[in-house]
Amino acid sequence: MVKKKQDVIIVGAGAAGLMLAARLAEGGQSVTILEAGAERQLGDLVSSQIWARKLKWAEPAVSESGDHKIGHAFNAGSGTGGSAIHHYGVWLRMHEGDFSLHKDHGVGLNWPLGYADLTPHYDRVQAEVGLSGDAEQERWRPPGAPYPMPPLPLFAQARVLAKGFENTARHTSPLPLAINSEPYQGRKSCQYDGWCDAGCPTGALGNPLVTWLPRALAAGVHIEHNARVSRVIRSAANPSHIESVEYLQRGIRKTLSAARIIIAAFTVQSVRILLSSATAQHGAPGNHSDKLGRYLMTHPAATVFGLFEEETYPHQGVSAGQLLSHDEYDDKAAAGGFGSSQWMIGHAIKPHDLLGYGTGRPDISGPELEPWLKRAARHLGNMTLVCEDIALPENRITLSDKVDSDGIPYAHTHHDLAPNAAARWTQRMAEGEEIMRAAGAQEVWSGPRIGMHIMGGAVMGDDPAQSVTDRNGRVHETDNLYVAGPALFPSSGAVNPTFTLSALASHQAEHLLATP
Amino acid sequence: MPDNVTRRGLITSTLITGSFLVLGERLTLTPAEATELGFTSDVLSREQLNAIETVAEHIVPGSHRAGIAAYIDSQLNAGENSLLIGKYLGVDTSGQIAFYENLADNLVAALKTEQSVQEIVGALWGDALGTWEGPPSSYMLFVLRADALDVTYGTPEGFEALGIPYMAHIMPETPW
Repeated sequence: MVKKKQDVIIVGAGAAGLMLAARLAEGGQSVTILEAGAERQLGDLVSSQIWARKLKWAEPAVSESGDHKIGHAFNAGSGTGGSAIHHYGVWLRMHEGDFSLHKDHGVGLNWPLGYADLTPHYDRVQAEVGLSGDAEQERWRPPGAPYPMPPLPLFAQARVLAKGFENTARHTSPLPLAINSEPYQGRKSCQYDGWCDAGCPTGALGNPLVTWLPRALAAGVHIEHNARVSRVIRSAANPSHIESVEYLQRGIRKTLSAARIIIAAFTVQSVRILLSSATAQHGAPGNHSDKLGRYLMTHPAATVFGLFEEETYPHQGVSAGQLLSHDEYDDKAAAGGFGSSQWMIGHAIKPHDLLGYGTGRPDISGPELEPWLKRAARHLGNMTLVCEDIALPENRITLSDKVDSDGIPYAHTHHDLAPNAAARWTQRMAEGEEIMRAAGAQEVWSGPRIGMHIMGGAVMGDDPAQSVTDRNGRVHETDNLYVAGPALFPSSGAVNPTFTLSALASHQAEHLLATP
Repeated sequence: MPDNVTRRGLITSTLITGSFLVLGERLTLTPAEATELGFTSDVLSREQLNAIETVAEHIVPGSHRAGIAAYIDSQLNAGENSLLIGKYLGVDTSGQIAFYENLADNLVAALKTEQSVQEIVGALWGDALGTWEGPPSSYMLFVLRADALDVTYGTPEGFEALGIPYMAHIMPETPW
């Protein structure tokens, strides 16, 4: 079955896909989104860490190898809103030096864009989504418009942990968040109940269900859910032109044509779709120089915990944390390793689930467990380190030998952490334990190193021999195939990626609307 | 935000339930209720579930009464919709039945020896049980402990036991 041609097909209804859909449809273009997962509404966002697993990517599974795995099942989402439906709302700008890593330090890759190119888009997006923060206290912040809302209030845990930074001559500022500290554009302010990871149903956290989706639907965007894209298909007459998208929906194989096709299916699935589109006559789109799938990145991260005499009430606040520290962020070449790093301080936390304080202490069990959990529930402090990952060609997404019941290949990811990035992580974790003790913690411990966020694989660049897409996300050697989202990132910085991928999508939307 | 979505206004039930077979009838019950009523397992054998219950109760007291066996069995029956924490820990939903069968069979064999449960659990954390087959026992026990924490403390009742206000925006009310 071949349906009528659209102006644009977007694969993936996540943060990038829904934003592009809204902007392009508001600009007069007809847009259809193909979303692999289920339709989700605010009422589906049940306050339970166990329930929240429904929001994560399940099947087809992504197999992983390497010494620093990307944690796809935890980081990736499925359904309307994509991964951003369960994101914590930490919206930080990448720093100017994050865009020129190879030029400045001879490692990793450069972006084809600079911070100045994205500044107007950061500013525009933050006004549309609504960010809370204090630009003046955030002494490390790159230039840009002040936040449209004041910062969220501080709770007991943050006040206790801030002392550790003060006592070690470090600085903190309110953590900038896409969470309403006051009513904003018809959305209510946060209630600080710490259920962000399960998805915020009140509309206080700017997930795509309350930001881009209403605008997209009002502008006429059509969304097909449970539509799993298998590949894109080249025109027989003009192989540089991508004619249609093939997808499976309720067991039926369908195709849909459009003048432009944008793959915004998060990092791994975007690359999987492109790799799966190779034919006997033509290689996979974007793989002309064997770069497709390479430079996969994930931030090395871990949490430091402490138990205090003071009551910290760590259930209060938001999952993301309350304070930020970017001291030494811009000194990537500082002794001890390589790369930027940041602390997110004072997360609202639960006793169970992957990041829960009970789960992370397997040494405590039996009759000691419940008294310890009760103590932690009132006296725990925690903060998370995020370090920079360096883009390496060996870290890559490939197709697995396994196929699902519909014949769609699974993806496989391999990721090792560069030794100098690993050294930076080790260095900063040791500092984190010192900070926790300086805050007065009587007992300090650290969680394991995990992969946080997933980026790269379809990196952008000006040189087709070194990249998959151009600066606008158009796949090299194609006329009309684009990639959006964090797959485009040539470097990771050490900041959470949602703000930057949104600014980048805004930049892409401007280009697409200006280029008939 | 829809008018019908408010935190406290949407609290209609504190029950977190699953579908369980009890005396030939399929009922919607909490894992604790299913355990109390003597549910009939769908995936694992009673002997396997007993072994899981015994070890889980030793490391997370209260998990037996909270329904750890019923919880795991019902989630294994959910296929790719399983919400067991294993999906975050390298146990894909497609491989979960094999994982828990392997875990349970190892525990059944260990519990038939002369060793106490405490001695067995100590050996499992140290990967020192000679008869163990499959993935490292410390890893499998970590997964089981996380499941036991989920079912014991990951609910409104579990939060209450720890003195934490649950403060749901939307309270879980339909089957896992």
